[in-house]
Parts: sequence; C-alpha cells; structure tokens
Amino acid sequence: MHVIVVGCGRVGSEVALNLASTEHDVIVIDRKVESFRRLGDDFKGTTMVGVGFDRDVLTEAGITPSSAVAAVTSGDNSNILIARVARETFGVKHVVARIYDPRRASIYERLGIATVASVAWTSARVLRHLLASESTPDWIDPSARFTIIERRVPAAAAGMTVDHVETSSEGRVVVLGRFGTASIPTSGTLLQEDDVIHVVVPAEQAALLDQALHLTEESHR
Amino acid sequence: MNVIIAGAGSVGRYMAGQLQNSGHDVTLIDNDSTIVAQGRATRTPVGVTWYLGDACEVATLTAIGAAKADVVAAVTGDDEDNLVVSLLSKQEFAVPRVLARVNNPKNEWMFNDMWGVDIAVSTPHLLTALVEEAVTVGSFVRLLSLEGGKARLAEVTLAAGSPAIAKELTDLGLPRESTVVAVLRDGHVVVPRGDTVLHQGDEVLVLVTGGVEDDVRRALVG
Amino acid sequence: MSLLRRKKGDEKSVEPDSMPVATPINEATPRQQVCVCGKITRMTARPTAGQPALAILVSDATGTVSAVWTGRREIGGVTLGRRIAITGVPVIRGEQLEFTNPGYTLLSR
Repeated sequence: MHVIVVGCGRVGSEVALNLASTEHDVIVIDRKVESFRRLGDDFKGTTMVGVGFDRDVLTEAGITPSSAVAAVTSGDNSNILIARVARETFGVKHVVARIYDPRRASIYERLGIATVASVAWTSARVLRHLLASESTPDWIDPSARFTIIERRVPAAAAGMTVDHVETSSEGRVVVLGRFGTASIPTSGTLLQEDDVIHVVVPAEQAALLDQALHLTEESHR
Repeated sequence: MNVIIAGAGSVGRYMAGQLQNSGHDVTLIDNDSTIVAQGRATRTPVGVTWYLGDACEVATLTAIGAAKADVVAAVTGDDEDNLVVSLLSKQEFAVPRVLARVNNPKNEWMFNDMWGVDIAVSTPHLLTALVEEAVTVGSFVRLLSLEGGKARLAEVTLAAGSPAIAKELTDLGLPRESTVVAVLRDGHVVVPRGDTVLHQGDEVLVLVTGGVEDDVRRALVG
Repeated sequence: MSLLRRKKGDEKSVEPDSMPVATPINEATPRQQVCVCGKITRMTARPTAGQPALAILVSDATGTVSAVWTGRREIGGVTLGRRIAITGVPVIRGEQLEFTNPGYTLLSR
C-alpha cells in the first residue's frame, strides 16, 4: 500500500519508520527539510518538502484513492485540511488525522474523518487506523481466551445491527464510539459508517469479526 | 448587526473600526496577547469589544456569542485558521454570513461551501486586480467571489474598441446569468437601467453566476 | 462463545443511550441545537465549485428539513426511505431549516 505521512515530527517519523520496514511504500511530506533528520540515515522510504494540503504536492507524492494518508503535523488545523483534501478531493478511504483538541475531534468525526487524539501511544493507533488489516488488540485476557479489538465500521456495514455483528462474530460489542462520543450499544443499535467499535471476541477469531463487518472486502492495494 | 472578526491584524482592525462606526456591534478576537492588550489599552478601534482567544475553538466561539452573530469574518493571516473558523461558524453556530480572507491564492479553491465560506476575499488577488485595473483599461478583472464560488463580481473599464460603447444595456446581449450591478462614470455611480447607454471609460461592475464569463467578456471587451 | 451472547429479549430499544430526545420539525428553531427525526424523502448529489456534497430531505409528520454533508458523495446507510435522526444547529434557508454536516443516527424502519 502507498502511504503518505504528512508531518515528520515524533509521531510522523515513528509511523514512517515503522511502515518503511514492512512491505508498504512510504512517502513523508513536511514543510521543513530538517524534520527528515528524525528518519535517520537508513530510511527506506521517500521524503518530500511541501505543504500537505496542496493538491499539486499530493499529486506529486503519488496519491490515489487506494493510498493511505496520515495527517500528523503539529497543527490540528493543518491536519484537518490535509485529511479532507485527501478524502474529498482525492477519494482516499484510509485517512487518519491527529487532533489535539478532543472537542474539535468530535466535530471532525462528523465529517467522516478518523481522528486520533494526541497521547503517548499515538503512533501505534495511527498505524492501526491506516492498516485496518492488522489486528493489534486493545486487550487480551490473562487466560488468553478472549481479546478486545477495535474496528472502524466501513460503509459496507452501515445499517447492520449490533446483534447481527455479535452473532456473526461470536463476540460482543462493548463500546461504540460515534462522532467522538462513546456509548454502550443495545443489540438493536444500527452501526454507522466510521463508528469505532470495541468488540470482545474469542481469541484468534478476529477474522470472523472482520468478515461480519465486510472489512475483508476492503482492498488495501 | 452582530459581527465577529477573527484576526486583529491591520485588515481585521480596519474592518472592525469601519463596521463599529457604521453602528454594528463588533467583537474582535485574536490569539496574540500583545495585540489584544494594546487594543484594549488604547481602546482602538473605538467601541469594539476585544477578546483574547483562539477562534478555532468551539468553546471560544460560544463565549464570544457566535450563536447570535450575523456575520463572522475570518481574516487572520493564516488560511488554515480562516477555513476552520468558517467551518465551525457555519456548522456549529449556523452563522448566516461567513466571510473569509484568502492569503495564499493557491488555497483559494477551498474557500467555498466545503468550509462554510460564503464570501471569499483574496487580498493578493484583489490587490493584483486593483493594480491591473490601474494599468490595463479594457480587460476583465475579477474582484470578488461570492456564495462559495457560485457568483463572481467582475469589473471592466470600457476601452476605445469596446463593442459595448454607445449601446444601451439591453442591447448588449449579456447572458441571463449575469447582471450589471453598477456603472462608475466620472467618479459617480450610475444605477444601471435597460436604457442606460455606456461610454468609453465607464467602469462596468458585473455579477456573473454560472459559467458565462466568456460571453460577458465578449460583450464588454470584444 | 455462549459466555458472550446477550440474553434474548434484554432490550427493545434501538437507539443507543446517547441519542437525545427528538423535537417535531415544526417546533425546531434556527440556530438552536436540536435533534429531529424522520424519513429520508429525497437524496441528491449537490456539487458546488467542483466539490461533491450530499443533500437529503428528512420529513416527519410536521414538516421537512434538509441536511447537507459537504465533500461527501454518499454515506453508508443513508438511503431513500430510511428513518434517520439528525442532530445539529440548523440555518434557515428560505422556508426550510438546513443542517450542515450534522450528526446523524440511522434508525430501524
């Protein structure tokens, strides 16, 4: 997958280095060339100096609808601009924006932009959003029988009831995050595009959940 | 009218002063404590309410009365801030009129409905347009973009060879999606009517909706 | 697996706890936060200045409102005939209230 990381600060560089060591191809965009020093000498990806919401810059960075974009600059406003341009102008589905202000995050969630609040483990969460196929669990119970995993509901699963997802995945939806607010869903709750659900499933059965949510049909290439 | 102006640089302060003078209730907000302190201390512009804060935050917009504002003008020197202020104003506060300043013309394409902007004002564009106006008589100059890009205000100073000279407005053949808003002649404004005859040197202000600029240009410039 | 199954007949309601109480459309006032509920009676793509936008009309027994999502072409589950709740601060556009990028909740038919 072609991943564009905008912002080469602590989080951006961590995400980029992480991705470059896998089979994904990464390009990092930053306004200042000095920021790329954080990537070290062995960085296997590409770098580009430029403004991340500039259409020409993104085009030059090879953006296509099947790319993934992480807007992780130090400015909330830049990140939201980058995220919207990527999604709405270039049709990119896998976009995540880092937002410091949680109140703004909930507003941007309404625009359908996946946001990640700025906390110490942010790069892991950014990676999880970009690579939906990687199922790093929230929690694994000590006996290793169950795990709690987080998933973002795709458009294909919108309108599905919680009951349906639970039955198909043999799990239980514990928490539903929608537009930045969390609630406890009932079995009749209808899932919506971009909902973030935390599901407890039997260990090793994340694939059943992904199937139920039609996540396996998403193409990442 | 209740007006909120985000960005107390020279543009914001000037606008605030003018509007307060015309009898509107103006709040001027900026994130720079020095600017705000100075404004409060000198009490300029006169009558304006100063506020120190980040207009890109919902809590701040709530505190300064965005829910009751008739107009929000996002005129900071930062396009990202202007776009976010506009979006929040429109989406969270249903502000009827949102005006935003475009600093970098490369970003102008975003200043429309997508970000809650009703009226985009491109300072460099305007300045260039004004310079162009001074320098070239006869060309079609775009001044302002309104309604999120749906309407444009343009200006043509009629040069000697213009096909519009000595014609009545109704005979110009201007397309339906355009309107002559005003004719500036010898320093005064002529309210255009169907039988108004255009002269060489007239500055014709025309509002164009739809993609008919070329037709308008042909009718006025040739 | 059976440890995780809900007891059948536990809850009847469809809306999660966080959904606010809906106001009849004819009682909603412009520029106030409100939640209205109804059926999607029209859906159009409304591109402006080259950017896409999705516009819907939602009607209940007392009236109709419109909701516009700027920059989106479609939203999963938002289809003609679907019951939906819209939450936000509307502007008045002519005779009708219009929501820009509101929160929404899909409701069962």
